[in-house]
Amino acid sequence: METAELQDKIFAYMEKMKGKKKLKEKDVIKALAEETSEAPDTVKKALRGMIDVGRLMYSYGGGASSVEIPSEEYLREKGLIK
Amino acid sequence: MSGKYKTPMLDELEKGPWPSFVTEIKKAAKKSSMADDELGQLEKSYKTKRGYWKHGGIVGVLGYGGGVIGRYSSLPEEFPGIAHFHTVRINQTSGFFYTAKALKEICDIWDKYGSGLTNMHGSTGDLVLLGTTTENLEAIFAEYSSRGWDLGGSGSAMRTPSCCVGPGRCEWSNIDTLDITYTLTQEFQDELHRPAFPYKFKIKTAGCAVDCVAAIARADMSIIGTWKGNIQIDQAEVKKYADKGMNIQAEIIDMCPTNCMAYDGKTLKINDVECNRCMHCIAKMTKALRSGKEKGATILIGSKAPIVVGSLLSWVIVPFIKADAPYTELKELIRKIIGWWDDTAKPRERIGEVIESEGMRPFLEAIGVPPMPQQVKEPRKDPFFFWSESDFK
Amino acid sequence: MALPKRQTDIGPPKYDQFLPPIIKKNYGKWKYHEELSGGTMVHVAESGDKLYTVRVASPRILSTETIREICDLSEKYCDGYLRFTTRNNVEFLVSDQSKVDPLVAELKQKKYLVGGIGDRVSNIVHTQGWVHCHSACTDASGLVKAIMDDLHEYFTTKELPNKVRLAVACCVNMCGAVHCSDIAVVAVHRKVPTINHELVPKVCEIPTTVASCPTSAIRPNPKDKSVIINEEKCMYCGNCFTVCPPIDIHKPEEDGVAIVVGGKVGSLRTDPKFSKLAIPFFYNEPPRWPKVVAAIRNILETYEKNAMKHERVGEWIERIGWESFFKLTGIEFTFQHIDDFTFARDTFRTSAAFKY
Repeated sequence: METAELQDKIFAYMEKMKGKKKLKEKDVIKALAEETSEAPDTVKKALRGMIDVGRLMYSYGGGASSVEIPSEEYLREKGLIK
Repeated sequence: MSGKYKTPMLDELEKGPWPSFVTEIKKAAKKSSMADDELGQLEKSYKTKRGYWKHGGIVGVLGYGGGVIGRYSSLPEEFPGIAHFHTVRINQTSGFFYTAKALKEICDIWDKYGSGLTNMHGSTGDLVLLGTTTENLEAIFAEYSSRGWDLGGSGSAMRTPSCCVGPGRCEWSNIDTLDITYTLTQEFQDELHRPAFPYKFKIKTAGCAVDCVAAIARADMSIIGTWKGNIQIDQAEVKKYADKGMNIQAEIIDMCPTNCMAYDGKTLKINDVECNRCMHCIAKMTKALRSGKEKGATILIGSKAPIVVGSLLSWVIVPFIKADAPYTELKELIRKIIGWWDDTAKPRERIGEVIESEGMRPFLEAIGVPPMPQQVKEPRKDPFFFWSESDFK
Repeated sequence: MALPKRQTDIGPPKYDQFLPPIIKKNYGKWKYHEELSGGTMVHVAESGDKLYTVRVASPRILSTETIREICDLSEKYCDGYLRFTTRNNVEFLVSDQSKVDPLVAELKQKKYLVGGIGDRVSNIVHTQGWVHCHSACTDASGLVKAIMDDLHEYFTTKELPNKVRLAVACCVNMCGAVHCSDIAVVAVHRKVPTINHELVPKVCEIPTTVASCPTSAIRPNPKDKSVIINEEKCMYCGNCFTVCPPIDIHKPEEDGVAIVVGGKVGSLRTDPKFSKLAIPFFYNEPPRWPKVVAAIRNILETYEKNAMKHERVGEWIERIGWESFFKLTGIEFTFQHIDDFTFARDTFRTSAAFKY
């Protein structure tokens, strides 16, 4: 699978899960590796690519780190949108 | 900028000989309205006996999931300067060695973007910058990283490793704590900056069993320098200690936990087979006694503070491992240990807790370490032990 | 002005560029060290080179102004080389012996406390407190200041049977080594938390919150999409507050601090030890916590008077027995002292041999 396609699937999963459960990086990798039959390392790499450009972000709350879709505020602060 | 608030309670803490943190906050408040609002809110805490901080959310700079701890005043209208008051963790140098030039540069950047307040250092070891706003984070990171400084760890990640002064300035160090810490920090950059673990994981390295970095009490992985072979004795120096008035019988021989030493008023003898390398005699007679020549480290696992079911001290896992550069064996062992924990732990479970709930055997088997009497204080007392298929072969 | 280009995953700068030449030359080849005073020592290398260390106290919270002053001093006396200790003291690394006394003199003139070396009380390892922490139920820095103002002579000059390591933690999370210190203060809650049922469903994950409780005192409350706490089982650890902030554990009028004693981390003579409860509670009395300060002095002086040379606080107590510790210090023994949690059965006495 092309990285871009995999990343779109990751994003779709994140949107589906938004507000339901705080997802750890590992949860996302596991779910997408199952869904796409890609190796966990491949999913991890694709996920990291998204975090590096601000398509996804790390967050912290409830005593643990998680991965989230960034807020507009975050994107603005990082200069990714105006 | 300063002096917006009257702080009669905090002013009391500027009196007395011990250096005052209130004076430090006031110094920062001369230049920073953030520090001044910090002072105002703290005075309020002293009156009402409670803190006014919220945390969470913001965790770092683009691409990272740690190094910044989001901190917000719960009274932003009363204290607008600290509506955002985030912590930035800068990865300290091994052994906390600095030059004035480097520290001044760190201060210059911090004065430009933050409150001017620091912790030298945080409990984990990081150089902690206290108090900045969300919009300054990327600039702070660009300024520091372009000058060779990176962020430390936070959240469900490897935390910034730290160590004692080691061979930099200590005759007792059996391993190169500074280099081990630097090397491991570089090795685990990804694990430090991008939280992918069930919870935090701390590594601390002490050069000997005196353990000046409290590795055995507050690191998931405690690396403690040790040796094999006989303690090296300089009898002439032993005599000098006696001549200067040391009661060698009472202070050294009688306090040896294994009774492996003898002194007849002339010669000090050690039955090294019985020595458990506790460091008492070496620490008290540092001119006369030196550790044995074959150096290495003991690897202990699991210590943590009491949340939630009680404190743990680290447990001996590998009694002796060679710890010479490039530390290949050590790195491989750490990867195996972290790998098992990552696969086995529930969310927010430290490795010591997982070993307690899963049992030591699955852990040892997973990392390829055989059972050894050095790992326990005593064998089990009950008759309820498991047998695996592999035991019947 | 444009920002410089960021770099990622570079790690800290390598330590060797901050080491003074004398350390680089004698790295790993130190022969012995001698204490010259409460705050100065000399390390002698196999080569015969001598490195002098001058140690001063720090409140850990440092302004950039003070850091610059420390840097200026290090430039004036030791070519800009300095370090911090694991207990947050500052150390000037002096290779020219003739500069030691002038440095000490200027430090004293500027009101720095030179000390913390040898069988003394070193700096107190402590946490953020009300200064900067969301879960603090006391102020660590204020307690440290008040305690060390009282004990400063044990930092600078007065000697003890062995070193005494103090710590202050502003909640039971204990960011520091309170659980293994000779004498330590830990802030504690004493009341069941108050739940904001409106906020819980918005902020918290119910299964995570339920799982966070070590005594299984929390169960879901489907009606309010919130949780219920069984008051009988709650022991006020505050772990639920960490994972779900609308469960507020803070009760300012009932929160306070406990004192624990007898811990250590070194393996010298006896195994590392956890600290054990000495005094279960004092109310927070800012700004100077006078009762806590007096209680710590009492324990320290009782140790000073009764311990044998080289015994740490925990070793002294184990030799004389805890029953004697309570007798000698005059500290009242209460129900809170008897463990009823995870380590309980290891602590009940199983022998007819004890003291009165």
